[in-house]
Amino acid sequence: MKNSLLLLITIVIALIVSVVLVRAIDAHRASVPAQFGDESLYVNAATAKRMALAFNGLAADWYWMRSLQYVGGKIVAFEDTHTERFGLGDLDLHVLPSLLRVSTALDPQFVAPYEYGAMLLPEISPDDATTLLNSGVAANPKTWRLYHLLGYVYWQRHHYEMASEIYAKGGNLPGAPPWMAAMAARMKGEGGSRDAAREMYSHLYDASNDPAVKDMVDKQLMRLKSLDDRDEIRNVLNAYKARNGRCVSSWRDVASELRAVRLSLDAKSGAPLDPSATPYELIKNGCDVGLDMNTRVPFR
Amino acid sequence: MSNHTSVATSTSIIGSSTCVLLIARNAFREAVRDRVLYNLVLFVLLLTAGAIFLGELSAGQETKIIIDLGLSAMLLFGVFIAIFVGVGLVYKEIERRTLYAILAKPIGRGQFLLGKYLGLCLTLLVNVIIMGAGVSLALIYIRRGWDPLAIKIWPAIMLIYFELMIITGVALLFSTFSSPALSALLTFFVFVIGHFSADLKSLSSTSNQVAARLVFRALYYLLPNLTTYSVITPAAHGSSPDMQSIILAVAYTIVYSIVLLAVATLIFSRRNFK
Repeated sequence: MKNSLLLLITIVIALIVSVVLVRAIDAHRASVPAQFGDESLYVNAATAKRMALAFNGLAADWYWMRSLQYVGGKIVAFEDTHTERFGLGDLDLHVLPSLLRVSTALDPQFVAPYEYGAMLLPEISPDDATTLLNSGVAANPKTWRLYHLLGYVYWQRHHYEMASEIYAKGGNLPGAPPWMAAMAARMKGEGGSRDAAREMYSHLYDASNDPAVKDMVDKQLMRLKSLDDRDEIRNVLNAYKARNGRCVSSWRDVASELRAVRLSLDAKSGAPLDPSATPYELIKNGCDVGLDMNTRVPFR
Repeated sequence: MSNHTSVATSTSIIGSSTCVLLIARNAFREAVRDRVLYNLVLFVLLLTAGAIFLGELSAGQETKIIIDLGLSAMLLFGVFIAIFVGVGLVYKEIERRTLYAILAKPIGRGQFLLGKYLGLCLTLLVNVIIMGAGVSLALIYIRRGWDPLAIKIWPAIMLIYFELMIITGVALLFSTFSSPALSALLTFFVFVIGHFSADLKSLSSTSNQVAARLVFRALYYLLPNLTTYSVITPAAHGSSPDMQSIILAVAYTIVYSIVLLAVATLIFSRRNFK
């Protein structure tokens, strides 16, 4: 009985000490310079596939989830140390292309990493985005969604001819929706237009099952809507300036004109609301309109 | 005279198969008594945790991941059972000296090995069926309703079972002439190399030296080709192997198991237990 009690006390004390030690190790790790603390891949895609034996599907899932955690971790780290909003380029996601490449090499039919890569990589590493999506199309030549994503990557890179070609190819596949062929024509004719962008993001939103991708696309749709709104607001502000020889002093000065162009206004300040229901800001002494810092609408 | 002979042969066959079945039943009971099936508890915990938490981590890919996780765990747990129980099947009987009592009866050494093999295969079958049902239920839970994948994964589960039958045979073979630790290590190596069979084949065709080419070719055909059974990843995408692949895999399992058991019997029958 006495021995058991002694053992129990030893176990509890040892566990407490181990918790303290782990916290000390974590604290020490946090002080390691960023360039040493970053994650890296020790195996390339081909080696990972060999080492996975019969468990390549599970290994692909692991790399996929690691990609999500990697991006999430970078966002959290950025937000902890910066007050301004981040763009993907600010996050230093240099391991992401390799993570996605390994995941898709382990399971070439796994569409989610291609989709994630198509959304994130064009801004970080456009060549990696094209390579990843081309390998996806090569491994799944009958999956129209991958043609859609590859077309999107080319569109992001302003390669409208190439995007049109990819959409046309994907549109000919059995089961492909009719809008694929329409997108091929649109890319060719007006690839750089805002309407083409809107259509592109709407189809991406509808075709995706990934909540993270849907959220990213939703924000881009909000950004496009906001660009249209700001054009309308600028017209109103310019007209006021032309009439009165000065810029507006508050949103109340142009409230009726803003209502006339069907913009919803903030009840308190009379400011027009952006697509995330945050009031727009008057900038340049009332001569121009800008996004509020707290809005959910992306700045770029 | 010929009638007497055929009756005697039939009686002998019935007697032999009864002996084999009795040994198999005892091997199964022993495995259950050794709490081998307790791994199912761990498996259920793994699946439950997976089903609950994967939605958060996988961004909408929980169905694929639960299949990958479930079937991979099924294979891994099965391989561990096949190795660690398989290598002890013969060794324990020798160490406890119960083998002498068994072999003193009209039971051949081949029958003894076959019985032990079938007993462990039965243990693994029960294990795999319960785990398969667990994965199917987890899929239904995730979808909050019927999911066709709950049925579509069963051909892959069947192939996992066939792979485990081969590994059991390999473990049994090594255990007839080696210590449990070495047998376990060698069986694990065979499991690993068995999944590199495609590399062995490509090495045999790309090597410059004729001797090396022959060695790799021989290894390719001699070692079990376990890639035949690797369909977990396609199963997670809802594709099942075609009927011809399944028939070929069944035939390969039967033939390769016969080879393993025959070699094991050959070695075991030459061992001197005096």
